[in-house]
Amino acid sequence: MSDQHEVTDLAPTPGERFRNAFNSRDVKITMVFGVIITAFFVLLGLWFYPKFMPEIMSENMKRGKDVIVYFTVISAPIAGLVIAVALYTLLNRHHGENPPEEGASFRTHTPIVFAWTVVSAIFCIVAIVWGLTEMNVNSEDATANAKSALVVEVTGSQWVWTFNYPELGVQSEQLNLPLDRAVEFRVHSVDVNHSFWPVQLGVKVDANDRVTTLAHTTPNVLGTIDIKCAELCGLYHAYMETQGKVMKEADFNNWVTAQGGHVA
Amino acid sequence: MTTLDHAKVSESRPNPPKSLITKLNMGTGMIVGIVFAEVTYFWGKSMWDRQEAVMENRILTLSMFAWCIGFLIGIGAFIGPFRWLIGKDLTDEEQLFLAGKGQGVSRYFRYCTDHKVVGIQYLVGVMVMLGAGGTMAMMIRTNLITPGSKWVNAEIYNSLVGLHGITMIVAMIIVSTGPFGNFILPIMIGARDMAFPRLNALSWWLLFTAIPVLCSAWFFGGIPTGWTAYAPLSVQAGAGMNAFIVTIIIFAISSAIAGANITTTVVAMRAKGMKWNRVPIFVIGATMSVALAIPAFPSFMASQMMAGFDRTIGTHFYDAEFGGSGWLYAHLFWIMGHPEVYVILIPGVAILMEIAPVFARSPLFSYTTAVVGFAGIVGLSVLVWAHHMYISGWMPSLNGPFMVTTEMISIPTGLLFLVLLGTIWRGRPWMKLPMLGVYALIWNFLIGGITGIYLSDVPADDYLHGSMFVTAHFHYTLMGAALTGAIAGLAYWFPKMTGRMLDERSGYISFWTVQIGFQVLFLGMFAAGSQGQPRRVADYEQAFATSDLISTIGAYLVGIGMIVLLYSVVHSWRKGKIAPMNPWGAKTLEWTVPYPIYLENFHEAPVVTSDPYGYGRSEK
Ligand SMILES: [Cu+2]
Ligand SMILES: [Cu+2]
Repeated sequence: MSDQHEVTDLAPTPGERFRNAFNSRDVKITMVFGVIITAFFVLLGLWFYPKFMPEIMSENMKRGKDVIVYFTVISAPIAGLVIAVALYTLLNRHHGENPPEEGASFRTHTPIVFAWTVVSAIFCIVAIVWGLTEMNVNSEDATANAKSALVVEVTGSQWVWTFNYPELGVQSEQLNLPLDRAVEFRVHSVDVNHSFWPVQLGVKVDANDRVTTLAHTTPNVLGTIDIKCAELCGLYHAYMETQGKVMKEADFNNWVTAQGGHVA
Repeated sequence: MTTLDHAKVSESRPNPPKSLITKLNMGTGMIVGIVFAEVTYFWGKSMWDRQEAVMENRILTLSMFAWCIGFLIGIGAFIGPFRWLIGKDLTDEEQLFLAGKGQGVSRYFRYCTDHKVVGIQYLVGVMVMLGAGGTMAMMIRTNLITPGSKWVNAEIYNSLVGLHGITMIVAMIIVSTGPFGNFILPIMIGARDMAFPRLNALSWWLLFTAIPVLCSAWFFGGIPTGWTAYAPLSVQAGAGMNAFIVTIIIFAISSAIAGANITTTVVAMRAKGMKWNRVPIFVIGATMSVALAIPAFPSFMASQMMAGFDRTIGTHFYDAEFGGSGWLYAHLFWIMGHPEVYVILIPGVAILMEIAPVFARSPLFSYTTAVVGFAGIVGLSVLVWAHHMYISGWMPSLNGPFMVTTEMISIPTGLLFLVLLGTIWRGRPWMKLPMLGVYALIWNFLIGGITGIYLSDVPADDYLHGSMFVTAHFHYTLMGAALTGAIAGLAYWFPKMTGRMLDERSGYISFWTVQIGFQVLFLGMFAAGSQGQPRRVADYEQAFATSDLISTIGAYLVGIGMIVLLYSVVHSWRKGKIAPMNPWGAKTLEWTVPYPIYLENFHEAPVVTSDPYGYGRSEK
């Protein structure tokens, strides 16, 4: 009985060691730093992307933006921990011409290595599952709307975009889309690679010579879309841009008729 | 030991052998190279005088290769192999001459087999390339200072983008393994030279021949395709593209030679007692980096050879009209392109892992974790290439699997952070120039890593792909992490390579200017990318004006800081404070040899009894 008592005195149980580790001054200060920096990164993520990303005009765009914002938020504690540790060590910094006294001497610490690996694996799995889910939602939307989608053939050529609505008999250099109707962009190029990017719709797909690639989305806000080329395509790549509009269905039908097309 | 410090070791000046070798140097190489190129050019003109692009490309490409071969003949690279053909070899005197014994500065301009000479050649070469690439970066940012600045026209702008990209990529691939992998690494493992000294010289001089070829692109209409040189744009591009193709092919051969050499040296030539778990971590990192380059770069070479065939003999590998495919190019390119990122990154991180224990006076935290981290990155990095092709339309159903492999890289990458943090934890960091790099890396690599996770995510990449956001992200990893590591390595090993200390005051000024400018530059660029500004654009709309202006201001700060660094290096090299043998109190072998280092590094072969990280209070 007394033997056992002595043993526990000399060697604290893992639980006690764990609690002791958190009672040390180093760890306390680091944790305070960590909380502050985590908060900073959370706020940065919540502020930066909504401030700078353009108007959200489709579910695809919303999902993309959400991923970016939430990934920032969930990686904030990791960033907070990493920077907090680095900052804390700076409190003990040493200047001068000669090396400082010797530092701590632990060569490794298996529980920490293990815990670190597990935590980063969990973070990684969360990111993967999240991304796969959102990606699947995107493609399920596309399949669900496949039948009813408005088909727009997009042709990239150096350095203009042209849009053809085969079902409506309209060809245009302006992309007009009806509100809340699914679209299927069928994209190809007649020369080098381009990349079709209707910015506010949050989708993008390369235009290749003699191949048709697809992008699906449903514009759900009225307004102007910036259309850009996201793949360097030669001299005037920077100017290969135009604008598009998401309009009410009636307005869209009027535009189609005015272009000499027939409303389906 | 200290009495040996800066002892002028009088190596007797042997009589140079009577041999052709003594007459050859960089100058004769250039003369023969130019003659070869000219002869090929006029021969080509007489063979194919039609005014077709294919013929012009063919003539130029052949002339560039002829320059390269002529240069190597002229500098004497093939004398040894030629002797073998007739059943002989170089004499002992000739070999000593090639090793640069007793030749002073002139050995830097010869086909010198001493690894220390090759290391300095790489260092100077890299600095020239970074200077050229940096100047182009300044020009790019100047053009983007306001919307519609039209400081240069779109043609020149596109050329600047391509040349900046490829110059920097080549420079960054060799920035650590070239100078330090050649100069320091053999001494670190207690070897007398590299395993294949002649191949070592060959790898440097091959690379050297590529530099004028790449520069010539400027006079043949530039590289208007970006460094990725996507086909079919590259097939359509003007004559400057030939220079790109030849450069890449030469570079791939050079890096394969260097990689085989460094790998063999580390495997076969370690000092007695240096078991694998006693090898300094920089050696591990450099070896993994070059070993990863060995499978990666041939793919780049193949992609450029096929582009070259399309351009010079009219094949159609990438031409959809005749059954080719641009996706073929994209695959070949990125099968090299993603591993290449880690070829660049790993040595930079490994240098800082070498530095952190010395300046924190703590052992490297969990050596095994560091090795596992590097190995995990190397292994995964060959399985992720198509994350650059999520939106190419090539095979959307594979986006998921590539997303999984890509995001898994965050686990071994996280281990690298753990090693650095564990090393400095509860230490008293000695805030010398090299140590500042460790902190800069932790911040920059963190930002680069987190933004990399967005880009690896398909729905987010649907938006961000091809935007300035990507540019900002990879500059955080390549420049913020890898170049920071290389500069820290320069500050750390400068005393060993030059015998002098790197000036601290100008070093600090440079460090802070570069790092602050860097944050401003790429914060602006992250904003521009988030707003939807595509990358590689010569011009942009008013909406991006503020973000781009901020970027340009940051870029100028980086430029100023780099000029200060250049001053610091040049000044210190000539007049810096004489360095003691071991100014940092480090425990790796390179600090046990005095400057100037003997021709064969060690008088007595060292014997290693422990790993070099025995720092810390409770250690014996
Ligand atoms: Cu385009
Ligand atoms: Cu990649």
